Amino acid sequence: MNTFWSMSTNAGRKRSDGEEQGGPGEQRSSPTHPPFGKKQLPSIPKNAVPITKAASPASSTESANGTHASYGPFYLEYSLLAEFTLVIKQRLPGIYVQPSYRSTLMWFGVIFIRHGLYQDGVFKFTVYIPDNFPDGDCPRVIFDTPVFHPLVDSVSGELDVRRAFTKWRRNHNHIWQVLMYARTIFYKINTMDPLNPEAVVLYDKDFQLFKSKVVDSVKLCNSHLFDQPKIDDPFAISFSPWNPAVHEEAKDKMFAYKRLHSDPLLTTPHNQRWPEDYNKGPLVSGLSWVKPGSTQPFSKEDIPLQT
Amino acid sequence: MTSMVVNGKRGGQSLVLKGVDPETCMIVFKNHWAQVVKILEKHDPLRSNVGGLGGGHGLGGGGGLASFRFGAIPGDEASAVQNYVEHMLFLLMEEECGQNGAMGPILEFVVMENVLERLFIWSLRREFTDDMKLEQLKMYEMLIGQAKQPLLHHKPVLKPLMMLLSSCSGSPSGPSSSAVETELVLLLNQLCCVLAKDPSVLELFFHTSEDQGAANFLIFSLLIPFIHREGSVGQQARDALLLIMALSAENQVVAKHIAENTYFCPVLATGLSGLYSSLPTKLDVPSEEWHCLHREDWQQLPALVQFLNSLEFCNAVIQVAHPSIRDQLVGYIHNGFLVPVLAPALHKLTLEEVMTTTAYLDLFIRSVSEPALLHTLLSFILLHRHDNVHILDTLVSRINTPFQLGTVSLALFRTLIGLHCEDVMLQLVFKYLIPCNHMMLSQRRVLRERDCYSVSAAKLLALTPSCCSPEVIPPPLRQLDSILWSKGTDGSHIGTMESKEVLSEEDDCGNSCVIGSEIYLDVSYLDYLCDAQNSISHCIRACCVWSAPYDGENPPPEEYQRSTLEEADLTATPGLLELEWDDSYDACPTQPHPEEDQETRPIPDEPPKHIQELRRTAVMIVKGSYIEESEFQNDVMVYDLVAQKDAHDSGNGYHAPSKPTEPAKQEVLDGPVTDQKTANSESLMSNGLSSPLDEMDSKKRGSQSEHKSLEGEDLMAQYEELIRTLGAQHSSPAKADGELKSPTVLMDDEEDEIDFNSFSPETPETEKLPSPFGTKPRSGSRGHAVPFTGPFLSVLLSRLENMPSNSLHVNLLLTGILAQLAAYPQPLLRSFLLNTNMVFQPSVRSLYQVLASVKNQIEQWSANNKDFPELLTAAQHSLLARESSLRADRIKKNPTIQPKTVVPLNETEVYATVLFTEFLKELAAFAQEHSILSYPPTEQ
Repeated sequence: MNTFWSMSTNAGRKRSDGEEQGGPGEQRSSPTHPPFGKKQLPSIPKNAVPITKAASPASSTESANGTHASYGPFYLEYSLLAEFTLVIKQRLPGIYVQPSYRSTLMWFGVIFIRHGLYQDGVFKFTVYIPDNFPDGDCPRVIFDTPVFHPLVDSVSGELDVRRAFTKWRRNHNHIWQVLMYARTIFYKINTMDPLNPEAVVLYDKDFQLFKSKVVDSVKLCNSHLFDQPKIDDPFAISFSPWNPAVHEEAKDKMFAYKRLHSDPLLTTPHNQRWPEDYNKGPLVSGLSWVKPGSTQPFSKEDIPLQT
Repeated sequence: MTSMVVNGKRGGQSLVLKGVDPETCMIVFKNHWAQVVKILEKHDPLRSNVGGLGGGHGLGGGGGLASFRFGAIPGDEASAVQNYVEHMLFLLMEEECGQNGAMGPILEFVVMENVLERLFIWSLRREFTDDMKLEQLKMYEMLIGQAKQPLLHHKPVLKPLMMLLSSCSGSPSGPSSSAVETELVLLLNQLCCVLAKDPSVLELFFHTSEDQGAANFLIFSLLIPFIHREGSVGQQARDALLLIMALSAENQVVAKHIAENTYFCPVLATGLSGLYSSLPTKLDVPSEEWHCLHREDWQQLPALVQFLNSLEFCNAVIQVAHPSIRDQLVGYIHNGFLVPVLAPALHKLTLEEVMTTTAYLDLFIRSVSEPALLHTLLSFILLHRHDNVHILDTLVSRINTPFQLGTVSLALFRTLIGLHCEDVMLQLVFKYLIPCNHMMLSQRRVLRERDCYSVSAAKLLALTPSCCSPEVIPPPLRQLDSILWSKGTDGSHIGTMESKEVLSEEDDCGNSCVIGSEIYLDVSYLDYLCDAQNSISHCIRACCVWSAPYDGENPPPEEYQRSTLEEADLTATPGLLELEWDDSYDACPTQPHPEEDQETRPIPDEPPKHIQELRRTAVMIVKGSYIEESEFQNDVMVYDLVAQKDAHDSGNGYHAPSKPTEPAKQEVLDGPVTDQKTANSESLMSNGLSSPLDEMDSKKRGSQSEHKSLEGEDLMAQYEELIRTLGAQHSSPAKADGELKSPTVLMDDEEDEIDFNSFSPETPETEKLPSPFGTKPRSGSRGHAVPFTGPFLSVLLSRLENMPSNSLHVNLLLTGILAQLAAYPQPLLRSFLLNTNMVFQPSVRSLYQVLASVKNQIEQWSANNKDFPELLTAAQHSLLARESSLRADRIKKNPTIQPKTVVPLNETEVYATVLFTEFLKELAAFAQEHSILSYPPTEQ
């Protein structure tokens, strides 16, 4: 049996990964932000509906004995966390994702289209990852509102991901590639084997009408921007109109953080992944007297004054 | 006066004085003084001839002065003076500042009439006993501590104070009584506090001396002899010195003076040597488990407490002092303590002695926090060579020694690795991994890859012995059920939204995220993950200061390989080789090769005699027979002369000092003689060479009187020698610090020679030596360095392979150190330890291979033992009990409780099995956390 469950501690980490939130104290008091890095058992999400599902082995690794059954969920959890860190690292332009609170198998996302036919479109979507990842099918991407696009199903809003990833290959395929693909379709229109035949017909025969339909679709999507998230989840992405009382402080914090960490060492992607870590606990420093470019100990001429 | 201070009469008088107008006070003061002057003049040899003049006036400090006596002063007159003075001081203390900070009238009077100096001379004229000194010291202590206006700015106050201080110092007449010393240090401490608050006074302290013809800083010099003193006197002196050290950071003059004109740094450093010599050479090991000195251990050893106090003081000085003082001190510690004392101590003849020294070294490193001091300790370990072998190599070789030396050495490495010091890790681990010779060429690009799907973790956990499989272990040891999730939990939030969601999920035809119910998971594994995450992120932050990522590209493997090759052809260092593969303890681990006995040593001028000199010096300092250096001597004499001047003026001829204690002083004043003496003492010592301990014993046995003058003489000679050795071409001690760095630089160059050649196939000695591994590289005809991950990793893995037969505490240490290493984020190390998919050279043994071998041993053993499951359960219970008792101890700070052991501790295999299983979880957790915290970013 290998079903999936969510680890709240990691949900906390993802939160800090995904966006720079307010102070740690704030997070600690909020139920949706469990204490980061604290040893504790995962809490059970209150509104979760556990559904038992038959699942295939999550990993191809042979297990000699019962260890795999006991640790399998950990492997899956960390595989997805690794995927998520890869996404963060890619810094895909105009794409934001966040795993759901309930499960790392469901990610919420939003794409901002900055030019082209779909300019100014803000499309919310959800990524569903199969629970036998990375050995199953490719993840699915479903737009909250079906966008008018040859590759997007006009009813379900599902994006045709399979055409780009006919077979999902572990080590070669990563979720960031799916997200990248989801972005690309709005800049380069492909009309082969469409999920939305009407769009293709218009695209080929009456481009002006196609364009106006796209504009309507963008408008429609944007008009639903401030709607409640389709799926109720603490980590679902929700928009609200600019409200200085709420947002100004957060914005300031983000910029202040950027200034604070203008040190090139700290602004490298890997270090931005744990801003909270830097703020808490005593400052730790290792020691080094190795001159850069040398492999000799104590090759630095001067002893640095560290206080 | 004493009585006044002691009985605290002031309190009562204070009330009386309130409201009394200043003019009245002034009149009273003047009246009192007039009475005092009458008595003083009556006995003044200049004014009258009362009292015959003694024949011999000694000029030698307090002793000389004490012998300079006039006719007995009647007791009633003495006490009358004392009474008047009491009142006068009180009036002075209570006087407020004049307008705009001007002197109050009483103070002005005191300054004009030179009251304090005249009183001091009066006390000298009477028998200048310890009681008299105490009285004077307390008087000043009270004045400085309680006066309402600044007094020290006035020379007529400062000068007699200085005279008093110099006469109270450990003058040639012998050390003062402990009561005087206590009071003296208290006063000095008070003066330093004043200095710290008002640095302008500092100028005056220097200027006062200049007037006397000797530029010095008496307060400071007087404190030096108390540096290493135990108890509160020593602590007060050290606190006072620290105040001056902090002053030096901002005041160039003070810094320069201390570095150039005092022997503060050498005294401090050689003092460490002296204190070290009184440490027990063998420790009473409390139990077999013992492997390092904890607080409870060293608090039982007063000598060790004293040493640590001084070491802590060095640390504090380095923290606050001016860089010039810091550098000088650090240099002296290296050349005056580490090299001459600690290095030979680490190479003593018996196992217990070496083990004890290793435990001390570990404790010292743990006790020090200042980077500059750590730099010194670590460069000593990494770069210093004793008998041509690096200390580090010797220490690594001892990991494999039997008895407790091996575990104590392991504990030392645990400390070293915990420092997150790049230089240490470079020498221990990375320099062997940088060339990437240990892996197949094709693996180099895999090096930085992250284990996206926890494959390594799964492989590690799959090594869990069948007897410890999660299904087999009964609760409560198996905490699986506590993570059980059931379907119908907590209905508070289940409502309409719930059903909506279920609907939507159905709509999406299985696109739902699902949460499994009733999953049994190993809860303890969550703790391991959390620990791993904390250790790794801590380590990543600590390693931010490192110079390179060690990722197989930087530093570039090719460059290192080439240099390795070149160096390999140059020389061979047989001594080193023997050590690295020596797994049986040799009583004399560093027996030099015959040819090394010739004068080809790198540092021929660092012979044992030097050690002994320093030892003697230090011992003397600690024993309190320290005599201040020349400048100070001059100063004491100057003050003495001042005091004697009155007597001289009285018509008595001035005689050159003729006391038996004088030669040392003369010598100091006389440069060439000193040199000659240095030569003498040197030759003496090289002749009568014995072990340092014998030297000490003979010192102790020697009669005091005989030694007194000798000690002073030797001391000066030794200081000269010390300075000479340290700053060979330089004349002033201040420049020595520049010089001090050169040994390090020198060693750096030498380091190149031996870096890798020891592991090159060209070195014939390698072949001859027995290897702990059957797979020891023999090939290597390609001319590349033979694949080798270095002695440290090799010896760790070799000990780990013996896990089933290791005792519990050895295994705890071993797995602890490997877990420390596993937290390091550098891809070279991470891939070697945790990537189970890496393909290494056949000659290289990986951690995974070793673990697999341990697993097999355990499986075999458990198959052959019927009662293994019961023993296993008992062992797990006893380890759990141990864990909780340790936790309780940490809270209660009561370390004495021994964990209950259900299974006899000789059942090593059983404990090893439990530990092994837990270790696999620990490593798997590290592997998993690395996959999401990986450093540095690689994929582009």
